[in-house]
Amino acid sequence: MASEYRHIGKATERADARDVVTGNVLYLSDLEVPRMLHGRVLRSPHAHARIVSIDVSRAQALPGVEAVLTHADVPDWRVGTPRVVRVLDSTVRFAGDSVALVAAVSEETAARALELIEVEYQLLPAVLTMDEALAPGAPELFPEAPGNVVSPGTPWFGPECLTGVRMGDVAQGFAEADAVAEGVCGYESIPNPLPPESPGVIASWEEPNRVTFWVSSQAPYQDKVVLYYAFGREVDVRTIGGPCGGSYGSKLMSVQLALQAAALSRASGRPVRLVMSKEEHMAAFVLRIGSRVKGKVGMRRDGTVTAVSGEWLIDTGYYSMTTQAQVAVGCGEAQLVVRCPNWDLGSTIVCTNRTASGIVRGFGGQELKCAILPVLSRAMAELDVDPLDFFKKNYVKPGDGYFWRDGHWYTYRGIDYTAAMDAGARAFGWKEHWRGWLQPTSVDGAVRTGVGVGVHGNVDIGESVSEAWVRLDPDGRAVIYSAATEHGTGQPSNIIKMVAEVLQVPLAMVSMTAADSTVTPFEFGPVGSRGTWAMGGAAIAAAEDARRKLLERSARTLDRDPSELDTRDGLVFAVDSPDSTVRWNRILGREGSLVGTGRFDPDFTLANCMMTFVEVAVDTETGKVELLRVVNATDAGTIIDPPGLENQLNGSLGSAGIDSALFEETVLDHASGRVLNANMIDYKWRTFAELPEMTNVVLETPVDSHRFGAIGVGEVATAPGPSAVLMAASNALGAWMDEYPLTPERVLRSLGNVPQRGRRGGVQEGAAGGAGAPGATSRAVDTDAEAHSGPTADAEAHSGLADRAGREGEGDL
Amino acid sequence: MRSFGHVRARSVAEACALLAEHAARGRVNGGGTDLLGALKDGIYPEPPDLVVDLKSIPGLDAIEEVDAGLRIGALTRLADIARSGPIRSKWSILAQAAHAVGSPQIRNMATLGGNLCQEVRCWYYRYPAGLGGSIDCLRKGGPRCPAVKGDTRYHAIFEGRGCFAVCPSDAAVALAALDASAVLGGPGGSCREIAVQDLYTPLGTVLEPGEVLTAVSVPRTAGGSRSTFLKFTVREPIDFAVVSVAVSITFEEDLCTDARVVLGAVGPRPYRAVEAEACLRGRPIDETAAAVAAEAAVAGAKPLRGNAHKVPLARTLVRRALLEATET
Repeated sequence: MASEYRHIGKATERADARDVVTGNVLYLSDLEVPRMLHGRVLRSPHAHARIVSIDVSRAQALPGVEAVLTHADVPDWRVGTPRVVRVLDSTVRFAGDSVALVAAVSEETAARALELIEVEYQLLPAVLTMDEALAPGAPELFPEAPGNVVSPGTPWFGPECLTGVRMGDVAQGFAEADAVAEGVCGYESIPNPLPPESPGVIASWEEPNRVTFWVSSQAPYQDKVVLYYAFGREVDVRTIGGPCGGSYGSKLMSVQLALQAAALSRASGRPVRLVMSKEEHMAAFVLRIGSRVKGKVGMRRDGTVTAVSGEWLIDTGYYSMTTQAQVAVGCGEAQLVVRCPNWDLGSTIVCTNRTASGIVRGFGGQELKCAILPVLSRAMAELDVDPLDFFKKNYVKPGDGYFWRDGHWYTYRGIDYTAAMDAGARAFGWKEHWRGWLQPTSVDGAVRTGVGVGVHGNVDIGESVSEAWVRLDPDGRAVIYSAATEHGTGQPSNIIKMVAEVLQVPLAMVSMTAADSTVTPFEFGPVGSRGTWAMGGAAIAAAEDARRKLLERSARTLDRDPSELDTRDGLVFAVDSPDSTVRWNRILGREGSLVGTGRFDPDFTLANCMMTFVEVAVDTETGKVELLRVVNATDAGTIIDPPGLENQLNGSLGSAGIDSALFEETVLDHASGRVLNANMIDYKWRTFAELPEMTNVVLETPVDSHRFGAIGVGEVATAPGPSAVLMAASNALGAWMDEYPLTPERVLRSLGNVPQRGRRGGVQEGAAGGAGAPGATSRAVDTDAEAHSGPTADAEAHSGLADRAGREGEGDL
Repeated sequence: MRSFGHVRARSVAEACALLAEHAARGRVNGGGTDLLGALKDGIYPEPPDLVVDLKSIPGLDAIEEVDAGLRIGALTRLADIARSGPIRSKWSILAQAAHAVGSPQIRNMATLGGNLCQEVRCWYYRYPAGLGGSIDCLRKGGPRCPAVKGDTRYHAIFEGRGCFAVCPSDAAVALAALDASAVLGGPGGSCREIAVQDLYTPLGTVLEPGEVLTAVSVPRTAGGSRSTFLKFTVREPIDFAVVSVAVSITFEEDLCTDARVVLGAVGPRPYRAVEAEACLRGRPIDETAAAVAAEAAVAGAKPLRGNAHKVPLARTLVRRALLEATET
């Protein structure tokens, strides 16, 4: 299909490519605004405390310090859902929470001033886990969240915002099942997506009520909207977006940082830059939500799901900005993967004394999948259902329906993804490598391999509103007015490509404005894989509108009906006599231009799909789990930019994706609540030296989206992988692995090689699962770990393996 | 980062004199790959007011073969050790250990002396000041260790006393297996040698104020000796050992006549598993002997609540290293 196009589907150079690789892109920390000050934040050592007193006099007296703010001085601007988080508060709610703000002539002076601030705290008991937070009589973070349960639903998604999935009759569904599996599984490693550029903002306040923000965000116009509400709808907010050094969702909402910079700017009367250090980024910005499902699944022998019930617990950290939205989207997405008439899945959002959870690629869906798919696996294993067959059977098909995030029922009108799943399975060699549940693919001495598969999809490819304008200039150039900013995915270049295709001009003749909210129309931004269809759709519509107006205005000059005209390379001509052309400047005149407008309105009737196959090798003597290879399979409708798409899919590894099952995790000290690994050594992330074999299988079955038949698949690439890794490791080891990430410690423990200790989450065998069900592997029972602290004989480890090998021999799982 | 004075020392004597004068407020800088990170994180309760750069001292970065064996200047970069022909052929585990450190960029900066004397990686000790203030601990002169009841997945299983941080140096493990000594220069031109594994105490090193490590001397290896260095990390590059092991075995025919088995990242210093060494002497090393020695190597382990998995890991590494050394 793509071959018919001039630009679409071609591997063209990204508009900013040369500047990126030659270091010429100006990121936020490169910007200098005249008279700009540098802000720094004093952070709390305590997970929960009341500030009794703060003495800032010595800091204020330091030469070069222009403003020092405490909770007593800041305006009552608030963020959060509900709006409970202030710019600074008299209570600190996590180790690293903001205590005071300083603006000074240099970063060094600001840092020095922080050291001169004296704070007296009254310690409060903290809750660091969901279990602690939900315990009766637990200390509470906010009066607005009684029992530390945050109010469900977000006004952004309307009064019927999805808070669970409820339909049919689960009792009847379980009665119809051939097997019922029950369990608890947690995806609670709270990884950090870690964009290379730390969050930052420059704020410039103008009295009485106007503020300009230079933001590093993937959706700068949305910042304007969110901040407008945070300011209590009384401030004229202008946002200027620029190149964003990665976001993965997380920097979409640097709102508290923005409010702090605005408060400092207002207090000092000068622009203030506030950029987080790497350790602040890792310990005091946002993490993935913690997710735990206590679930029950009924299934028939043919893989039909008859009932799903349970409770989804979500740990949002000390506050929630979008967690309710993530719950809504996650619940919607669960229905895309599990086709089932009977649901009773509820949700509870819990706040705890750690840094907040925010937006991370996967947005609720990845977190719910990672916790609920292992429960579904138990039922599949009991009935010997191949997970590939299960996903093929259960993934949403044309004509199926689902409740989406707004609580409304939608009927799916997209394509059947079975072909993409089959193509991925062939590329992976699934049939050749799948040996059955809890069966290793190969055993070579201490090293065992196993395979796993996961799937995910999102309807938010058509969410929210995008607007764009396209201006045609007499010189044959076109300018796109859009708040799309480059955040690493190539989306602005892709939008330029689409507009150039509509107008039939070279790519070099199309450019995009800065993402200045006083220049561009509204843009919700590239989230939920909506960039291709929604953002692209608005730009295409604007280009088509401009083209239509151009041809209309050409009609008189060329003495033809507009329907007989076409344009190419800045020329207008009649289709039947292409040699007789006039330049755009003949139509538009030397003075003047022409503007087309375009808009995309939400459409929740299409979904994308990503299936990920993985093979892992587990060293049973060291506990090391190595990711050997990954096959991602999808159907993008039409590929807009092949290398960009490939990069997006290769990105499934990091940014809190597949690797969050292997080693990415944020480690909290359970006594103090401090993040122990807020650095790039102790937070494990994959380097380019350790890439597995990656294969991306992308089909192109045009979808009824926009004129190019394309949909986005970037955001979902991380989501199916983690649970697939857990499945693969379970198969390699012959024992259910049910915690993320798969640290050497957890692997060695599962082999009975190390004494157990208290565990959170973990799938337990369901009551209806039957005694012979998998997962009933013998484990060392945790008593007092210290008492077990002596070495365990090698023979014990070997007997553990022998035990498993024996069970494999039985074959009938 | 707090500002500090910086002196490019021209001689060991000058460096020692400056450091003696500044005592705890002075710090030595080799390649800077560890020191600058620690300074930027503000981990020290008393930030140094003087940094003494040793790179400006001529002649401290030489790799020399001498009659007794090998002498390596403390300022020798890890990259140079990793690629040195004589070291690769005769003291290969040292080259392997040097190569196992960090990344090419780090090895191009980091020095042998710095690797041996670097700060521990205990994540309580290194907690950055910018996140609510650094954490006080025994190692910093405080009253207690916050790690012992915390997350100890990377902490000691041997010889921890009060502080359970482990010696993070890969080079130290190989050097201990090679029976190497550290040469310490002191004020007034004093000089002493100390076995590499004895360089460390539970709370730091034996270096007195004013002392600097100037060189490492490694004895010649016996004919018929074979060695292996293995390092287990969570990820391959740019990572510190969870457990490492260096073995150096002397064979006559197929019999092991002498063995040094040293574990890394398991205690405050490279841990010499003398019981394992004793098991090996006078017998051939086969699967059984390696397993028995590996068991003996971890027999005295006293893991904390959160790091019992390091025991089977250490056992596996010792067994594998012995078999690998025997097979090569």
